Amino acid sequence: MKYSAMLLLAALGSLTVQAQAETDPVQERPDKQAPLPSFPKVADQTYLTPRPLSAIPEGAFGDKVRLGYQLFVNTQQLRDKYVGNELNCANCHMDAGRKANASPLWGAYFAYPAYRKKDNKVSSFEERIQGCFNYSMNGKAPPAGSPELVALSAYAYWLGMGGLMDEANLNDSVPELSDAELVKGGKREDFPLPEILAKAMTVEQRASLPGRGYPEIPKPEQAYSPERGKTVYVAHCQTCHGVDGQGQAIAGVYALPPLWGPQSYNWGAGMHRVNTAAFFIHENMPFGKSMQLTNQQAWDVAAYINSHERPQDPRNKGDVKQAQEKYHNDSDYYGVEVDGKVLGTQAYPIFPKKS
Amino acid sequence: MNIKIKILATGVTLLSGYAMASVALAAGATAIPQPAQICVTCHGMEGEGIEPLGPRLAGLSKDYITTQLQHFQAGVRQNATMMPMAMTLQGDGIAQVASYFSAKPTNDVKPVIRGEQVTFSDDTARLAYQGDWSRGLPACVTCHGPSALGGGLFPRLAGQQASYIKTQLLAWQSGTRKGDVDGMMANVANKLTAAEVDALANYFANLK
Repeated sequence: MKYSAMLLLAALGSLTVQAQAETDPVQERPDKQAPLPSFPKVADQTYLTPRPLSAIPEGAFGDKVRLGYQLFVNTQQLRDKYVGNELNCANCHMDAGRKANASPLWGAYFAYPAYRKKDNKVSSFEERIQGCFNYSMNGKAPPAGSPELVALSAYAYWLGMGGLMDEANLNDSVPELSDAELVKGGKREDFPLPEILAKAMTVEQRASLPGRGYPEIPKPEQAYSPERGKTVYVAHCQTCHGVDGQGQAIAGVYALPPLWGPQSYNWGAGMHRVNTAAFFIHENMPFGKSMQLTNQQAWDVAAYINSHERPQDPRNKGDVKQAQEKYHNDSDYYGVEVDGKVLGTQAYPIFPKKS
Repeated sequence: MNIKIKILATGVTLLSGYAMASVALAAGATAIPQPAQICVTCHGMEGEGIEPLGPRLAGLSKDYITTQLQHFQAGVRQNATMMPMAMTLQGDGIAQVASYFSAKPTNDVKPVIRGEQVTFSDDTARLAYQGDWSRGLPACVTCHGPSALGGGLFPRLAGQQASYIKTQLLAWQSGTRKGDVDGMMANVANKLTAAEVDALANYFANLK
């Protein structure tokens, strides 16, 4: 009896979320984590290929690029300073931000600064990364212009520019930029570029390089369901991510990351949305892609993962319903009742100290 | 019939295992649970491994040893010696064996955390730490952990015998070893060249 009632509630919850997703375009959220539009994958598409890390030059600029790589892969070195969970950037951006269709850094770099209609504001690349720290890393963003944001920007820029230069048969080393230029991002008319590249593509074309973001997949045939998603999770995910979704640490490192709970991304992170997670999962999971989940499985398992409690949305001013109305209802479970509890009401702390 | 013969053969090995165990007990070592006594002939009293008879067990997790013994029993992991050996473990035998060997000491390897090193002059170390995504090959350490120290269902590779790591990669390739969820490890192994199999086996064996 109780179980079937729970199922019914949860099913209603996901139906509601589906209906709302139709009417409320996610691009217009006043939220630095609001996604840029996603596009379906195109068959036989070729993608920008970043240069190998061994091509990073010696010297001060190269040092920033190298530091960016190191922070991206081992973000835990910033734990308690700027990071409040067990994640590393490389968990969701495969091949250390180099792989196409895994939200590569090179794709993002040329997509910022991006204008956001609703808050009438242009977000620079470093502001976008600050969003990652505040939400995905459940931490506190490094200040604008900080060495960390400069380094991550330098790494993203170097990956993208080297790839574009190779496509144009420009074999020179990547032009060095000042810190102030680096953190702005590459989507602007005054962005310094070799002349050939400036002529090869418009700013808009560079801002939507094939392989940017996670590729969109069709809406599921049946409304996504956490119950079906659990079956998918048990069969395909829990070996790495654990029966309880808490990931697995070896020598203190969660290379297999927690997907919900206190050590995962918070309710403001892009990945908490069922659509974003479904796109990511369909394209990038199971790790190494020994098999392909169906669209339906990807949506269902994304719903299962994202219908668990996680750290609070930092934009919540004390009321889940209020925060839900203002920032959610877009294909997500914040403020939605699942298993008799309204998600978000028992959220975990924001930026807790590790020790 | 065939199985009976193998079990008889096992019994002989078992006896020699008893003999070694008694010697060790006399020397004051930890008592070996009865079901684990069969293992020590090939894997060593401390699970240290005896090349080429049996790989190192010390340093493997309880979960991993348990799962692999179940795989031998079920035949998803095929090995002429280990399949009948695993069959001798009844009741809580697997649990006793897994508890005993997983508790055995290992060499301290200082874990090298992914991201510490940006570039690698050694292609094999680069493969282990960064993979080769142009071939859809993830870094080994993603699942096997920093310095491949292993944990949960992912075996420790650091300090394992090179010959054993090699035969396992080849077994994944040929399909005589299965039991990985969604063919995850087979998928990785099948993308490795023969030279990479050799090189990775040596690389991990020497992480001590």
